[in-house]
Amino acid sequence: MHRFSFRNAIRQYRWQELVLLIIPFMILLLEMTQLLLARLVHAGTVNGTASLNVKNLPTIEGLIPVLGLIGVLIAVNILLSVFFPKTDQVLLPLVGLLSGIGVLMALRIGPNLLPPFTDPALGTRQLIWVMLGFIAFLITIFGLRSMDWLRRNYYLWAILGIVMVGITLVHSLRSNLNSPTHDQLNIGPLNLQPSELLKIFLVIFFAAYLSKNIDAVAEGGMRIGPLHIPPFNKLGPIALMLGLALLLFLGIRELGLALLIYGIFLVMIYLGSGKISYVIASLVIFVLLGFIGYKLFGYVRLRFEAVTFDVLDWQNWTPAQQQFATGDGLQIVQGLIALSSGGIIGSGLGLGHPTFVPVVQSDMIFTALGEELGLAGLFAIIGIYLLIIYRGFRIAIEASDAFNQLLAAGLTSIFAIQTIIIAAGNMKLLPLTGIPLPFLSYGGSSIIANYIIIGILLRISHNTARERQGLA
Amino acid sequence: MPLQLDVFLLILRLLLIVLLYLFLMQVVIAITRDLKKTAAVSANPENRAPPVVGHMIVVDNADGISSLSPGMSFDLAPITSIGRGPTNTIQLTDNFISSEHSLIENHNGIWYVRDVNSKYGTYVNNQPAPANKPLPAKPGDIVKIGFISFKLVQ
Repeated sequence: MHRFSFRNAIRQYRWQELVLLIIPFMILLLEMTQLLLARLVHAGTVNGTASLNVKNLPTIEGLIPVLGLIGVLIAVNILLSVFFPKTDQVLLPLVGLLSGIGVLMALRIGPNLLPPFTDPALGTRQLIWVMLGFIAFLITIFGLRSMDWLRRNYYLWAILGIVMVGITLVHSLRSNLNSPTHDQLNIGPLNLQPSELLKIFLVIFFAAYLSKNIDAVAEGGMRIGPLHIPPFNKLGPIALMLGLALLLFLGIRELGLALLIYGIFLVMIYLGSGKISYVIASLVIFVLLGFIGYKLFGYVRLRFEAVTFDVLDWQNWTPAQQQFATGDGLQIVQGLIALSSGGIIGSGLGLGHPTFVPVVQSDMIFTALGEELGLAGLFAIIGIYLLIIYRGFRIAIEASDAFNQLLAAGLTSIFAIQTIIIAAGNMKLLPLTGIPLPFLSYGGSSIIANYIIIGILLRISHNTARERQGLA
Repeated sequence: MPLQLDVFLLILRLLLIVLLYLFLMQVVIAITRDLKKTAAVSANPENRAPPVVGHMIVVDNADGISSLSPGMSFDLAPITSIGRGPTNTIQLTDNFISSEHSLIENHNGIWYVRDVNSKYGTYVNNQPAPANKPLPAKPGDIVKIGFISFKLVQ
């Protein structure tokens, strides 16, 4: 690191990042105030028609969670200004705002979850996870001294990830197969989801392997007449890893993660080779696998059944449909009702009833956001995701070599694929699967994994900027 | 008349949406400015692609072994690397071309063709170029890379 000097620090201070953080801070403070007021109205201590005065305005203590988050964001901004002044300045405000909204939603939902699940500490825990996420982010960005270290040990990452998920598989098979999620590892009070880290490891592995064999993969091995035979010997290790990962997820019945990993694989093989034929071939294989899954597993059939279920025609439901809407399809039907009741501007934070949707805090958070922030709020959130993804791909384009480019693009596409799978699932456009909405869903492993991804992206951006400077 | 709580909550709700879109607008403006800066940097002549000093036209694609059709033309810079790998100036996908095959240089108007340890060799008018030693060539000469023949044009 370079020597610290005050004048230098002022000159290279990340003003743009700080300015971009102002509106997110205002949004978070405003939403917290709204939430506290809504609680007062809800509890009946204040009537909705009562006039606003200093007495019923929330006290400063109520704002502590948000103030804490603001403090952490400013601290990260200062730390980045001192040590990584040239790295991307747009990602942190975007991610900070999303995490803040996630914390507010957890604060809002936790105490109101339906009785057996009521959890007043949900928001506090989410806040702690976000703080730990920032620590993971700082460890990643400071610790990743050389990208070569990641590239050289690529088999290690893949094997580590597979072993971790394998342990959970054994663990979950031993306990019970009837709980909805099986990829959890309980170590003391911690509920770890190793699959969250596995996806990062797999992207590193794919990026390192593809960048090493980019020639062979891009060209195809042999040609017989018009047919292009892909170089199976070169693609073997990738296919093996993919197959292992998918098998594990079939074992623990995590359809969403299988979908996510297959999506990452498709993106990376396309980026590495530039050939649409690989993508088409993989999609055909995917449809075949999906069909087999549909035939073999009841729970997959159930998910598809929910997609074809007609909600609008609720007045003419048959008894069987009634039973579905209050039984297996309860989650999706309630989610749609929540979304529709939100309307355009939403009911306002704390004023809706998002907790009628089962597991709203993690899998169905999208519907809670739709109900309380409305269509306008949802569009804005999707806009934030779009900008994060744009920024990630821009970091990828600017990166100096194939490994860094593939790594940045692959990590960014994790966000993209996850968001589309779970948002579409919540809206009954795709079968609903249990994967988190990045930064918004409740869940420690997911938040920490997402912050590690942001750390790697900003480190790549920093390396690129430094190389540019060295050349100039 | 004092502000009612319900009205205040409605104002907060609307304000939130306005702020969310203001934030998006601010980010988009920041991104656009960033893109313009990048565009200005690449418009700077010092950063532009090297000048084109000649061309290489495919004359024989070895009876269709390669996918290049006769008549295709490639631009040559003062130093041009040819090979299968993505780092080359001209990337040719052909099984008989090594990942780094040859180097064509132009010094003061004279062309030099150099073979970079390729498997199937580089030839100037059917004369094999020794590994890593430049072989002079002039416009109109036939340069063979692997099994593909090119004509050098100024």
